[in-house]
Amino acid sequence: MSRKTISGMGAGIIILLLFPVFLPRFYVYLASVILLYGLLATSLNLVLGYGGIFQFHHAVFYGVGAYGTTLMLTKSGLPAIFAFITGPLVSAAFGLVLGIICIRLSRLYFGMLQISLGSLVWAIVYRWYAFTGGDDGIHGIPMPEMISSPKSAFYFTFIITIISLYIMWKIIRSPFGSVLQGIRDNPVRSGMIGINVRRHQLLALVLAGFFAGVAGSLFVVVDNSVFPDMLFWTLSMEIVIMCLLGGWFTFLGPMLGAAVIVGLRTFVSMYTVYWALVLGIIMVLVIFFLPSGILGYAVEKFERGFRKPEGGEQ
Amino acid sequence: MLEVTSISKTFAGFKAVNSANLTVRKGEIVAVIGPNGAGKTTLFNLITGIVKPDSGRVLFKNEDITGLQPHEISRKRISRSFQVVNVFQRLTVFENVQISVLSRERMTWNIFTPSAGLAVKETDTILESVGLLDKKNRTTALLSHGDRKVLEIAMALGGDPEFLILDEPTAGMAAEETSRCIELIKMLSRTMGLTILFCEHDMEIVFGIASRIMVMVRGCTVIQGSCDEVRCNEAVQDAYLGGSDVCL
Amino acid sequence: MDAVYSIIPAGVFSQVFVGLSRTTILFIVASGLTLILGVLRIPNVAHGSLYMIGAFTAFSVTKLTGGGSEGFWLALVIAPLAVACISLIAERGMFQFLYEREHLMLLLLTFAISLIFGDLVKLVWGSEYKSVPVPHMFQGFVPLFGGLPFPLYNLFLLAAGPVVAILLWLLTNKTKMGKIARAAAVDREMVGAVGINVSRVFAIVFVIGCYLAGLGGVLVAPTVSVTLGMDHNLIMEAFLIVIMGGLGNIWGALLGALIFGLTQSLGILIWPKFGIIFPYLAVVAVLLFRPTGLLKSTW
Repeated sequence: MSRKTISGMGAGIIILLLFPVFLPRFYVYLASVILLYGLLATSLNLVLGYGGIFQFHHAVFYGVGAYGTTLMLTKSGLPAIFAFITGPLVSAAFGLVLGIICIRLSRLYFGMLQISLGSLVWAIVYRWYAFTGGDDGIHGIPMPEMISSPKSAFYFTFIITIISLYIMWKIIRSPFGSVLQGIRDNPVRSGMIGINVRRHQLLALVLAGFFAGVAGSLFVVVDNSVFPDMLFWTLSMEIVIMCLLGGWFTFLGPMLGAAVIVGLRTFVSMYTVYWALVLGIIMVLVIFFLPSGILGYAVEKFERGFRKPEGGEQ
Repeated sequence: MLEVTSISKTFAGFKAVNSANLTVRKGEIVAVIGPNGAGKTTLFNLITGIVKPDSGRVLFKNEDITGLQPHEISRKRISRSFQVVNVFQRLTVFENVQISVLSRERMTWNIFTPSAGLAVKETDTILESVGLLDKKNRTTALLSHGDRKVLEIAMALGGDPEFLILDEPTAGMAAEETSRCIELIKMLSRTMGLTILFCEHDMEIVFGIASRIMVMVRGCTVIQGSCDEVRCNEAVQDAYLGGSDVCL
Repeated sequence: MDAVYSIIPAGVFSQVFVGLSRTTILFIVASGLTLILGVLRIPNVAHGSLYMIGAFTAFSVTKLTGGGSEGFWLALVIAPLAVACISLIAERGMFQFLYEREHLMLLLLTFAISLIFGDLVKLVWGSEYKSVPVPHMFQGFVPLFGGLPFPLYNLFLLAAGPVVAILLWLLTNKTKMGKIARAAAVDREMVGAVGINVSRVFAIVFVIGCYLAGLGGVLVAPTVSVTLGMDHNLIMEAFLIVIMGGLGNIWGALLGALIFGLTQSLGILIWPKFGIIFPYLAVVAVLLFRPTGLLKSTW
């Protein structure tokens, strides 16, 4: 990283930190939601863009993390900190279990089996009134004093998101990250240089599940509620779109995609009920004209010849 | 060093490899020749675990490695290159080889140390020995075909192999690249003491560098022997050379 | 029969047969989906939207004709054709440029189109619940299974399923068009090389597949409330059925739909609260033991 990017990031962080001071409550909430969706999309990109694994139903881990945290908060009576640790860990465990079941299938079939398992989890959450609140979900979840106001929730979300992004960045730059990208480009070759392809993919799935769970827990902090739509497959598709829109061969692309989509949704929804129509048109345009995403396109433009980005390959 | 005994593989009724035998002794350069579709690549895939054999055995240093996973076989210090270029398209030349070295050094589970500073010396040494050091920061997708074929070999070397399998190492190369590649293979055998098994269509190359030759036709081993034995063998001339060109 | 009912209550039979009639709809929609998947390799998420459009068009047609049963029969003809026209426009305007793109892109594109269609439906028909009357001929019940009343319309659906299956089989196995499509599914370059206009074949297959989605929409309309969001649930079920049966295999779609429908209706009998999870469990169980589906996939 050059000095320029570091100072740029520093400036960005300071501006974000000052957000709650100047902006009305609604925008603080919006900023928090963007951050946690960005974290969610980045966690998906860890396996999708960097790992080449068709994780079609990533929202499951987000939802499971949120429900895990909520149930610990409302039912266990343990200090809140345990809830925030349990949520992501349960998600990681789900990532492991679903991963073990799906990993022996290739590409598209992996995605399909993952969607069916995810839908199973959704169906259980949707129906299990006594435990999960069923289709109503759980609302008004009590938060510890420290993070109960929108401002403090924002700062909490902000800090956790930055830490998580930093850890994921380290993971991608690590030997494991290199290997993961190697597996994405060529699994057969990876096996032939001594890499146990499935186990590495499995670890990636667990890590992605964990960070999706973190995003889920953050949603509980920001919104004080959970509902089964958080595990519905349409949300998973939206997360994939965030990665695509921002650029899934770039690290910050998914965060950018999340910002664009969540921001647009909020403002478009103020004027019309046809947000889905707008989103659909944006997606079609991106797929046809900007297949490497906004950030991917920028990288292409400014660093031509280095790390050529292009739409995925078979 | 490598002992393949009556190995067979059938794909949807087609006998790709039919009871083939192959022996490679330490330090040799052995060539497998045969017409297109003779099953050379399948034989290599069987040895390296990419394809599981229906029957037969593969012994490496007197250890049975039949049916092991590719990564397990790679751990026994067997490396290979592929006929169709098989590299990590989106990564740089350096990263391609580095991953291979990291894998050999069992560092692939490390998720926190930046890989940029790891195994740099080893990787550079390998890149230098194959002559790709000046292109180390290029994205693989932008390399010439010849360079990618050489990168294939460099990746195989990253595993610090004792036994190297090359599937048509010079296929599609320009004349100059080909001669450079042949020098490289000779050098690997002579100075690094690698045992090499390769297949190739160009007979000049085969007879130029192989110490022994195995001839494969329709999945079967026709003969295994020295260059002269193979050259003068009638069965080979009939089956493979069509009897037309008696002296190669 | 009475002896049987003493072991298994007649209500169970009734429930199973209502479930089977629902299977018919699932099969009709899933067969269209699997046809497109098998030949064109497009995982068409927008298939569910076309089903929804079929149902809404049926509503409009019956309403315009005064809500009588003639309206339903008219809708049965018009609505699937309307859906087929929409799909033809989408295929010529968009999909034909994307056949070489990878599956993930196609999946996202069709999802985008499903979002657009969903909102267009909202724009045209609004977001209130709509209902389509059951045609006069099939109103009421017949006593079946120890005298328990069984809805006539469901009997009609039970008959419709096999008819569609046989027609589809004839189309894919007995017509020249079907044979070309099946060949193109295996090797599209080869079919193109012998001078057949593959692009046109693909368009026709796509339109037929979408026609089936529309047909499913019309048939389901009298049994449910026609509403926004009916596409999202159905498309997931249809995909699971197709995967369970083997991608591209029409008999697989039938088998998958049967398993899905039966596990659902039996599941609700056994454990009313968690009935909806049984079909998902069935899919997972199938894929664990036969990862590429029950019947031979064309992929």
